[in-house]
Amino acid sequence: MSQPARPPTWHSWAVFRFFGHLGAMCLLSLRSTRAMLRRPFELNALVNQLDAVGIGSISVTILTAVFVGMVMALQFSAALAHYGASLYTGSLVSEGLVRELGPVLTALLVGGRVASGMSAELGSMAVSEQIDAIRALGADPIKKLVVPRVLACLIAMPLLTLVADIVGCLGGQIVVMAEVGVTARFYWEQVIATIQLNDLFHGLGKSVFFGYFIAIIGCYKGMTTRGGTAGVGMSTTVTVVWVSISILAADYLLTNLFLAL
Amino acid sequence: MDLELATKPTVDAELAPTIRFAGVHKRFGPKIIYSGLDLDVYPGEVLTIIGGSGVGKSVMLKLLLGLIRIDAGSITAFGEEVTTMTPAQLTGVRKRIAMLFQGGALFDSMTVAQNIRYPMLEHGWGDEAGRTERVAEVLEMVGLPGIEHLFPAELSGGMRKRVGLARAIAVQPEVILYDEPTTGLDPINIRRINGLIRSLQARLGVTSIVVTHDMDSAFTVADRFAMVRDQRIGYTGTREETERSAIPWVREFVVGGKGVLED
Repeated sequence: MSQPARPPTWHSWAVFRFFGHLGAMCLLSLRSTRAMLRRPFELNALVNQLDAVGIGSISVTILTAVFVGMVMALQFSAALAHYGASLYTGSLVSEGLVRELGPVLTALLVGGRVASGMSAELGSMAVSEQIDAIRALGADPIKKLVVPRVLACLIAMPLLTLVADIVGCLGGQIVVMAEVGVTARFYWEQVIATIQLNDLFHGLGKSVFFGYFIAIIGCYKGMTTRGGTAGVGMSTTVTVVWVSISILAADYLLTNLFLAL
Repeated sequence: MDLELATKPTVDAELAPTIRFAGVHKRFGPKIIYSGLDLDVYPGEVLTIIGGSGVGKSVMLKLLLGLIRIDAGSITAFGEEVTTMTPAQLTGVRKRIAMLFQGGALFDSMTVAQNIRYPMLEHGWGDEAGRTERVAEVLEMVGLPGIEHLFPAELSGGMRKRVGLARAIAVQPEVILYDEPTTGLDPINIRRINGLIRSLQARLGVTSIVVTHDMDSAFTVADRFAMVRDQRIGYTGTREETERSAIPWVREFVVGGKGVLED
């Protein structure tokens, strides 16, 4: 006699839901890529999103980068002093910033800010039937809402990362000059000698992927929001968690990939 | 505008229906909404859909526009099957069928004029001067001239609904779907919206489907009633037939809706 089917356990249900969300986000990515190539191009919406994502995130990027650069310089100069190598602090600070901390910290901070904003905005539109209205009026919400946000993140994230790299190095310079006593010229000669073009592409390349994840997760969670204002709040919270985890996980995978190239 | 109610046209059941729901099945998860729903909507009539909360009255409107997909059955609009249409074909249908959403669903980031211009731009309607003129014209029709520059946040609930209606009629649709058009409005705005529904039908010959709980409004605007019950259309009848109906659950709904409960 056959055994009755057992109800799914909570962890099998969680795995099922995880793959459900992953599949839906892949589908959204595919649809947004197709919509991106279709005329007319929503240039006004793109400019608005570039302003919101790029210009709107510059201050938080600069503030974060300058302090991260300063803290790194403090830590490295102290650690290297044990080996009498504190003169090389500039090399370590710039290498660490450009390859790793610049792109990752910028993505985490900008991602939290931008993706939660996207999720809240699109979520509010979803619960007030504005997304249904876009479709009812004969337009494609993916083209109108998702594509400009994805493109803006793809363009803005590498630029913001570049700003973070430069500002972080400047923050490091202040501390290295004060703590180690080197000149600005010596510090920058060391930075330029250390940073290869490959390092720069490594960091900026990762930031493009991070930008894509930020936009897709923010838009997906926003557009699938249900349950009124409480649902908007929940979507926003979940978005920040998903974005942070995906950036950190993707950072590991992308670092492996870029190191292998 | 003149809010006097227009003379109601007689529904000619000999005509081919503009819209037909046939054997429609729909469920959301475990909840069955429709199991074999059938309904015909004839050209030029105002059909009011009534029924208890949560029976799926508004879902019918969204199924018709292809905003939600059915599980089984058929929905035709203007003789064409809607359920199997591609997105491009659906755009053609959505140009002919407009919808007034429950809360107006105006785009918060756009002004009133941009909201109304939106469907015109999507459907390639006229040139810039023509669109500007049309915006002023439809705002005049809904009794809100000169508010083009305002944002939705600056409007009252009644004004939002009327702007939503202005946006819906901007591209001169043949069918208008109204989702709870009078819910949450004061008596003056209710009367104004009801007048607009009748006036659009009388002046433009528009076919209308009105989903409502408000029985006073329903009896003001309807040519015909359809009642959703037990996951299908349980009753259809003209206004007079509905008023005189002896079916207990229709009677209960109609009389209860008029504020007089019988024993």
